[in-house]
Order: sequence, then structure tokens, then C-alpha cells
Amino acid sequence: MTRITARSTRTAFSAAALLLTALAAGVLAYQFGGPREVESRVLPAESRKMPSLSRLRAQHAALTQQLAEQAPAHPYIVVDTARNRLYVKRRDEVLLDAVASTGSGTILDDPEKPARQWVFDTPRGAFAVQSRLTNPAWVKPDWAFLEEGTDIPANAAERVETGILGEYAFGFGNGYFIHGTLYTRLLGKNVTHGCIRLNDEDLRAVNRLADIGTPLIIF
Amino acid sequence: MGSSGRPNPGPLSIPNILCSRASIGAAMLMVAFCEVCLVAGAQAQQRDVTAERQALLEANKVLQEEIALAARPQTYLVVDVAHGLLLLKARGVEIHRLQVLAWRAPEDRPPVGLFRLTARPPVDRPKASPGEDATEHPIELGDMPAEYQLVLEPALTLAIAPPFQDHPWLWLRGLMRGWWTRAVSKGSSSWLHLTLSPESARSLAWSVTEGMPFLIGRTTLPERADKSQATK
Repeated sequence: MTRITARSTRTAFSAAALLLTALAAGVLAYQFGGPREVESRVLPAESRKMPSLSRLRAQHAALTQQLAEQAPAHPYIVVDTARNRLYVKRRDEVLLDAVASTGSGTILDDPEKPARQWVFDTPRGAFAVQSRLTNPAWVKPDWAFLEEGTDIPANAAERVETGILGEYAFGFGNGYFIHGTLYTRLLGKNVTHGCIRLNDEDLRAVNRLADIGTPLIIF
Repeated sequence: MGSSGRPNPGPLSIPNILCSRASIGAAMLMVAFCEVCLVAGAQAQQRDVTAERQALLEANKVLQEEIALAARPQTYLVVDVAHGLLLLKARGVEIHRLQVLAWRAPEDRPPVGLFRLTARPPVDRPKASPGEDATEHPIELGDMPAEYQLVLEPALTLAIAPPFQDHPWLWLRGLMRGWWTRAVSKGSSSWLHLTLSPESARSLAWSVTEGMPFLIGRTTLPERADKSQATK
């Protein structure tokens, strides 16, 4: 009887010790562990106002959708001036991948007017097609005559040259155009005065895919 | 087989285990260990949730800024060092992507926000003379610098350099330039150092324009901490 009582007491003690140890371990681990956010009492007021994860995720999805809606719904043109490529894209689909020629980046000073200078860069940024010309004529600017070493004509009619810009020209502001070229062997190089040159076939494809208002992104 | 004379211990039972001191000790240790593991696991999960919340807050802020940028006709650069990406974008569309090999920032915390580039990296442009074809000696991608600094507003210097193993001299020059800039600014300007391949560095120098917006911050999210802990 005494043995049984002693065994029961030992068992009860062991169980109590086990429970206490487990509790103490839990309390210690909880108290000296890393940061936590579960209990709001110990957190500063600012942290308690933080929106929930689900709300943040929902907000993220909504913002992502809002950003996606800013993308052009219709075809748009992208020009990579470093690699001399022109792409027509719709969303992520590439409709045309063409070799182009873009600005040389060189400088020409006007010997008559020292303050006047031309930088032959293709402008970078976001534009839109503003005009579409069929069988365009080139109205030669002053720099074209300076380059040729000829006098700048007083008569405007002497500036007009036909048959060198291809079948179409797409203006995107400040006298810059996407147009055709006679010098197809120079496609893929930075050789223009700022315009974007294409071969005849690619120019026709651009004419088919683009319209006035088509976004044009140049980088 | 004869009997050994020792009493048969019989099958294991709960009272028998509890009565054994060694068993009790082992059980106590096991319970304590399990509890510590459980609490540590819960806290690690909690840290993941906190990290995800921070990432979401930052990404949402960056997205809000980007929506405003995409509404205007312009190109802009998104600098996401968390994912090692430089994204040239317009109207919310990615048009060119460059990889960031490494980055450094004060206290390992890259700046977050919208900045504007004050000036492009300087380039030596060839000059043509009258009577000469001005396009004969064009500037090409290879003429762009691979080590340079981009000065942004509000005050932030973005230092670009190739990796040490590729171009030790350029890397060292970038380091010296960074020290000098920080010494001159006396800590008034923040900085972010990006290691790009020489091709990417030149491509970036080619594509940026004066006044171009630079949106720095996280654009994509890390892995979700725990799908079961979706809400709190």
C-alpha cells in the first residue's frame, strides 16, 4: 500500500515537473524570441494601424491592373537607337522587327553663324505619329547644303528633292520622320541626321500597322 | 528455452514509462524541445509576414508613382535592386531591361522614391566640317562610358561601374570617384552604387535623357510568407 502511494506521489510530481518545465520553456522562448506582431498591446499605435496583408495584396493587384491599363491597346512603335532596330508591337506581341538607321550623334557648326549648331541625334522619349505622307518630297534644310559644301538657296523651290524618302513618311514632331532610304546598305548603322530610316518593305509594313496617333517610343 | 529467472518486464505501458526517471527526463526534454521549436517556427513565420508586409507597402508605393508616370508621354527608368533589374519603360510598358550584378547603399538600404536625372553622362561628339558628311563618324554604343555617375534630384548619386574582375581599373576609378563625391557632399547626398556589365552600363548611358524620371524601389513581390497566414 505504501509502495503504491509512493509511486503515485512520484508520478504526480513528475507530471507536475513536466508541465512546469514545458510552460517555463514556452514562456522563455516567447519572451526572448524575435520580433512579433500578434499582440497589439506591446506594439506602438502606428504599427497597429498597418493594413492587413490581404488588404495590401488586394491593393497591389488593383494597382498592377491599373498600370496594365495604361499600356497602348493598339499597335505601338518602339525604336532602339543603340542597336538600330524598329519594332511594331501589340501588347507583348512583336508584329514587326525591322533593321533601321538612326541618328549619328555628330555635330555640325554653321560657319556663317557661330551660335548655330546642329546635333544629329534621334530624339529619345515617348512620341506619337503626327502625320503620314505618301510619296513625300524632302525639303532640304540648311545643314544639307552646308554638308554638300554648296550655298544655301534663296529660292525655297530649290530645296525640294523627290524620290529619296521612299513611299511613306511618318512625322513625329520637330521635322523628324520615319521614312525610306536609297542607302539600304547603311541600315543597321547610326548614320542619319536624326530621322529613322527603313527599307521599302518594312516601311510598307509600318504603313499597314500604324496610323496617326500611334504611340512611338524611342530609346 | 528455459526461463532466465528474471521477472518479465512485460509490454510498455504509460504508467511504466512515467515511473521510470530516465523516461520522464527524456519526455520533459522532448516536450520542451518541441515547444521551443514551435515557438521559434511561429516567430520565423511572423518575421516572414513582416518582411512581406514591408515589401507590399514599398511595391504599392512604387506602383502608385509609376501609374502617374505612365499617364504622361515620357520614358522612365525603374530601378529595382531587390530583383537586380533596371527597366526602361513608357506608358507602363517595359521596352528595355538591364541586369544589376550587385549594388551597395548606405546601411544596405537602397533609397525608395521618385528622382529625376539632372544630366546625361558626358559624351565626346565628333564635329564635322562644312563640305564633309557629318554622319561619317557616328557615335556608337561602344563610345559610351562604362563607369560614370548619374546625379539625380532630390540629392542622390547613382554610381555605375563594371565588376572588378572585368575592368579593375574602371572599378577602382568608380570607387575613388564615389569616395570623392561623398567627401565633397559631406553626407548631404545619398548614394546608390550599381555594378553593371560594361555593355549594360553603356546601354544605360545611351538611353537616359536629361530630366528622365528614375523610380527606385521594389516592383515585384517576394514569395508569400505563408499562404495559410493570409490575413491578420
